[in-house]
Amino acid sequence: MSWSRTSLLGLEELTAEEIKIILELALEFKKNLQNKVLPTKNLKGKRIVNLFMEPSTRTRVAFEIAAKSLSADVISIASQSSSLTKGETLKDTANNIQALGADAIVIRHPSAGSPLFLSKTIPVPIINAGDGSHEHPSQALLDIFTLQQKLGPLDNKNITILGDILFSRVARSNLWGLKKLGANVTLVGPSTLVPREFEKLGAIVSHDVDKSLKHADAIMLLRIQHERQSTSHFPSLEEYTKIFGLNNDRAKLLKPNAIILHPGPINRGVEIESSIADSKNSVILQQVTNGIAVRMAILYLCANYPSRCE
Amino acid sequence: MQTTRLAVNNLHLKNGHVVDPANNINGVRDLWIQGSRFIEKDEVKEGSNLEVIDLTGRMILPGFVDLRCHPRNVTGGSTENICSISKTAAQGGYTSILGMPNISPFIDNPGDARYATECAERDAVVKFHLAGALTEKSEGNKLSPIGSLKESGIIAVTDCPYSTQNNEIFVKGVEYAAMFNLPVIDFPRELSLSKHGTAHDSAIALAMGLGGYPRMAEEMFVQRSITVSRNLDVPIHLSSISSKGSVELIHDAKSKGIRITADTTPHHIFFDDRMIKDYDANFKTHPPLREECDQKALLSGLKEGTIDAICTAHEPHQNYLKQAEYDVAPAGVTSLDTCFSAIFTRFFAETKNIAFECAKWLSYNPAKILKIEGGNLGTGMCADFVVINSNQKMIYTQNNTSSLASNNPFYGKDLRSIIEKTFVNGKVIFDNV
Repeated sequence: MSWSRTSLLGLEELTAEEIKIILELALEFKKNLQNKVLPTKNLKGKRIVNLFMEPSTRTRVAFEIAAKSLSADVISIASQSSSLTKGETLKDTANNIQALGADAIVIRHPSAGSPLFLSKTIPVPIINAGDGSHEHPSQALLDIFTLQQKLGPLDNKNITILGDILFSRVARSNLWGLKKLGANVTLVGPSTLVPREFEKLGAIVSHDVDKSLKHADAIMLLRIQHERQSTSHFPSLEEYTKIFGLNNDRAKLLKPNAIILHPGPINRGVEIESSIADSKNSVILQQVTNGIAVRMAILYLCANYPSRCE
Repeated sequence: MQTTRLAVNNLHLKNGHVVDPANNINGVRDLWIQGSRFIEKDEVKEGSNLEVIDLTGRMILPGFVDLRCHPRNVTGGSTENICSISKTAAQGGYTSILGMPNISPFIDNPGDARYATECAERDAVVKFHLAGALTEKSEGNKLSPIGSLKESGIIAVTDCPYSTQNNEIFVKGVEYAAMFNLPVIDFPRELSLSKHGTAHDSAIALAMGLGGYPRMAEEMFVQRSITVSRNLDVPIHLSSISSKGSVELIHDAKSKGIRITADTTPHHIFFDDRMIKDYDANFKTHPPLREECDQKALLSGLKEGTIDAICTAHEPHQNYLKQAEYDVAPAGVTSLDTCFSAIFTRFFAETKNIAFECAKWLSYNPAKILKIEGGNLGTGMCADFVVINSNQKMIYTQNNTSSLASNNPFYGKDLRSIIEKTFVNGKVIFDNV
């Protein structure tokens, strides 16, 4: 099986083989980065446009570094304005970027389905850096990469994702990716943020944190997505921290070798106790480092073709 | 295809299959028209100028009556206006339509109501009726001057496509409107439960990162209307029902003799939420498409009489607004030109006497609910009727429509039955032959 896609819109539509191709290439790039060697597989002369229409520093910077590590030219457009009332339609924005000669577009947008919309509008590779609550494939891929580095093959491993699942694109992408690789995924959080409906998507749903920690080989913590919630899904941060936060007492319930992940940015003292974030089981910073190699793999696979935009 | 006004004195419609639930007729027979009304054969004057139209193999149904459509503008505009919506209605076999008050200008005051009715008299090719807003700007804070609005020509009151959130205002409005014998139409939507609702809450929407408009948001206000209707003993009509729970509530209410009526739309009968899987906003309807089980409940609700009618919910939007990100695109689809054919196609294979049912759902019952003349091919009734060829199929596209908008989810679909001619007051206003 070889890679034939020019866009990466999400993990729901990928096969396990396609995920493996990305991760194997990521491993190759990781070695290049560690040895400070310029990769022979590169995107020299390609123009990558980061279209970030939602606040983001880490993902945007990670994609910039990934693109530059491949010797590509990269430019970032950061804009908060995404609704039609504020001006240009997304369709017009896309056409304009194509006209500027983009060889690939990395898009982060508050509207679910907007990368798909772009990919149908212009013949330029589209890489989804997060669309509303829908998917965040590069994050899930780097999470899976990190998990594999630490746990080996993920077949039958128990992965628990804890927090605001309802509004989380990270949770959804991870659910698709991990299931395809044979892992058991448990989603944990308040009933208002983890509806039973997720069982229909192949997850185990639980509202009992303590119980779900004991069997976990890895636990992934999510931030409360304030910007996506429209109403109060839980009474207060204090209540949330008390009942769902990974504090020291709860951390003792984990297996000794269980690893702790977080996509960042972390809210110390809310979803995770400060000292746990810095503990030896925490791989949070390794996720960040792995994120560069994974994004290099994604960019290379999607944008590595003879230039079309002449 | 053209819309023409031919001055015809008398008509003899021969050999058509007449479908007239008002008079329990469903068979081949002749009809006679003098001027604008149906007459008996023996009322035809000797030697009068009688045009004979042979309708062998065709069906004659009472002209359809729409309970919900949105003209957008009284005149002008690029999305729709009273003239274009009336032409689209004629294309679909509609002879009477009820325009919702969210037009430009907004119908919450007698001046704009009068302006709209005058323009309609001048521009509409079908009988255009106007609904006035229950509350000012349909914001739900203050009642509109309903009495004055009635004097200016409105025949019903509603805040549709919005929903009056404040219970006190809603109850007072219903009570007040009843004094003027004005039908009240309620679009049931509890807003705090559906604030950013872009789609029905299901596993499909959950995976897509969409949702937020659960059945509960509709059912809660369906129950509200039932409770208000019961306590005030005033009829309320529920518009655009989409949820199986709503059907159950309405069924129970009717069994207790509560004066509730209800309608649904052709898209809720034809489609379910699997249609939005590719984020295609052409299927973003108002209310949203729900699941197969809801569709089934609506279908059986129609068959057993729990749901009385089908409205078109015709909501035109410009293309560039619909060809956008799903959550940002406005909800609503056009429907007037395809409604009958879509319903006919959906039920054709499984329902006996489907044309008879369609005449009830699209014509007879709506006319009763609005308390207007129509839905009746009996002697003395106004000659509003439609000639249909049910054996032919047609693919509707944006090239066929008189609507200024083309956000119709049925375009490109092979639909069965074609509207051949539409008559209002005995005159042809649409001729497809």
